[in-house]
Amino acid sequence: MLNCPMHMDQWHSHLLGERVDQSSLVIQGNRACALGALDAGVRFFAGYPISPSSEIMEAMADRLPAAGGVFIQMEDEIASICACIGAALTGELAMTATSGPGFSLMQEALGYAIMVETPLLIVNVMRVGPSTGRPTAPSQGDVMQARWGTHGDHPAIVLAASNVADMYRLTMAAVRFAQRFRTPVILLADQLVGQMRESFSPELIGRYRLTSGDFDFTPGYIHPDLAREVHRPHVLGSGSHPHVTGLFHDDTGFPTNDPEKSDSFLRELYNKVAHHRNELCLYDVKNEGKGRVCIVAYGSCARTARAAWKLADQEGLPVEVLHLYTLFPLPVEIIQQVARRVEFMLIPELNLGQYAHEVRKMAEQWTTVIGMGKIDGTLFTPREILDRIAELIGKYESV
Amino acid sequence: MNPSANAPQGVRAAGPEETETPRVSARVGLLADRDFVEVRFCGSGGQGLLLMGLILAVAANHDHRCVVQTESYGPEARGGHSRSDVIISDTAIDYPTLDSADLLVALSQEAADGYTRSLRREGILMYDSGKVTNPPSFPGMTIGVPFTRLATEETGRPQTTNVLTLGAVVGITGVVSVESLTKAVMEAVPAGTTEVNARALARGLALDYAEWMVDSC
Repeated sequence: MLNCPMHMDQWHSHLLGERVDQSSLVIQGNRACALGALDAGVRFFAGYPISPSSEIMEAMADRLPAAGGVFIQMEDEIASICACIGAALTGELAMTATSGPGFSLMQEALGYAIMVETPLLIVNVMRVGPSTGRPTAPSQGDVMQARWGTHGDHPAIVLAASNVADMYRLTMAAVRFAQRFRTPVILLADQLVGQMRESFSPELIGRYRLTSGDFDFTPGYIHPDLAREVHRPHVLGSGSHPHVTGLFHDDTGFPTNDPEKSDSFLRELYNKVAHHRNELCLYDVKNEGKGRVCIVAYGSCARTARAAWKLADQEGLPVEVLHLYTLFPLPVEIIQQVARRVEFMLIPELNLGQYAHEVRKMAEQWTTVIGMGKIDGTLFTPREILDRIAELIGKYESV
Repeated sequence: MNPSANAPQGVRAAGPEETETPRVSARVGLLADRDFVEVRFCGSGGQGLLLMGLILAVAANHDHRCVVQTESYGPEARGGHSRSDVIISDTAIDYPTLDSADLLVALSQEAADGYTRSLRREGILMYDSGKVTNPPSFPGMTIGVPFTRLATEETGRPQTTNVLTLGAVVGITGVVSVESLTKAVMEAVPAGTTEVNARALARGLALDYAEWMVDSC
């Protein structure tokens, strides 16, 4: 299934030479991402270095040629994503990695990739923005940009990693989603997750099978159950003469202005993701059904949320945690399911409430949705979250 | 997260039959019995702080404990603040950034001034007394060792300061086992420097902290 999977002992050379203990290793999040991509079959990387994502590129430069792939450092991020789209049109699994400023440059080509239905992995290791911002501080400020950064109504698959193991397994899941749905997938991490090192057992990798079903990496392959929604890809170099355009096009690949064809084209593009929400939405619930307050969290905030839940448990506060690995498509079902049973949903994020607004739209008819924002380049502490919970519950009791 | 994380309590009991023995004021392994410990290395860019954090993290991993290592540096390419934090725990680590340090190792005056407040009151402050000439006021245990001078004396290479310092950190606090530290150091050092680094490590491990205690205010 995977071309040239990486042998386990190759892992260890990524750390500190070849003499590292084989049973487990301490590895950086960005490097785990690169390894996940290689193991998932990515064989093309084009990028431009930017803190705090550069180690992904560095690891790919190191590894990709040996794995039979192509690595190119481009002149900027626009060229990087365009090179990836070109590679994807030939049937290669392609990826790029960047941070906020580079992700901004990629937006137009991202829309093109969606339009011409090329599988692609874009990793955005978020730093504090806007603009150059704070290159070495974590943020979750690009969440809505990942969803709506490029213009027009378009589908989006956006995943969020919260630890080093996620950087490996969600990269793998992202590549598979991209391949299956023939669309770019965005993996969001932040400076902390990308640059931290953490103990990580390679034995665990076997358990990281988040998706099931057949994945065929043959260029142009479409899974039968998506045959109606995913358009037949035009593979460059396959012998035919494909026409690829960002204009609305029909099955021939040539532009069309026909209102009926335009409508069905965009709906199919949109629905191929929307109709498969259940298989795309990855999440985890802790203390399920036992909380009056649910902390909804993703990325590094999910780690704080877990710590806060354990603290809450010691202090007798009824808290559950909904950890979202998939931000878009919106995990409507699980959010509404939880919303029906809790009194408050608390959403800590390293931005000014971007995802809280989304959750509010889905959940406010059943529960009170409260956002907590932080933009100073540090994480919430578990105590900060717990104090807010105590305040919410206290307020409720006094009513 | 860890209610028992307070004052240094002493050495790890030697055997099961001694578990009831009250812990005594320690000579070695001041933090050896902690199930959760937070260590911060700080100084200026280029002193090998990141590698110190990484080696300690790998050593803790060799001890089969959970570990998270994070780093922080300014946007500038060199100089400026640099720090490396290591959290070591017997159980999975949720919150990944350092809350308050049990041990702070400062290799520059600026870092000592800036980061001593991140140290918990019952924690341990260690600094390079050759670099930190005006030690910050700290009520807890304070140990000032001229790490850079000792490393230069021992190996002729000031670049081995970080390994010597790690030896001292582990010799005094026992946050990781000596065996794992040695293994991690040998994995990390460049080829051809094994011998000098082994000497620096041994010198660090052999330090008697009582000799370097600074009267706290």
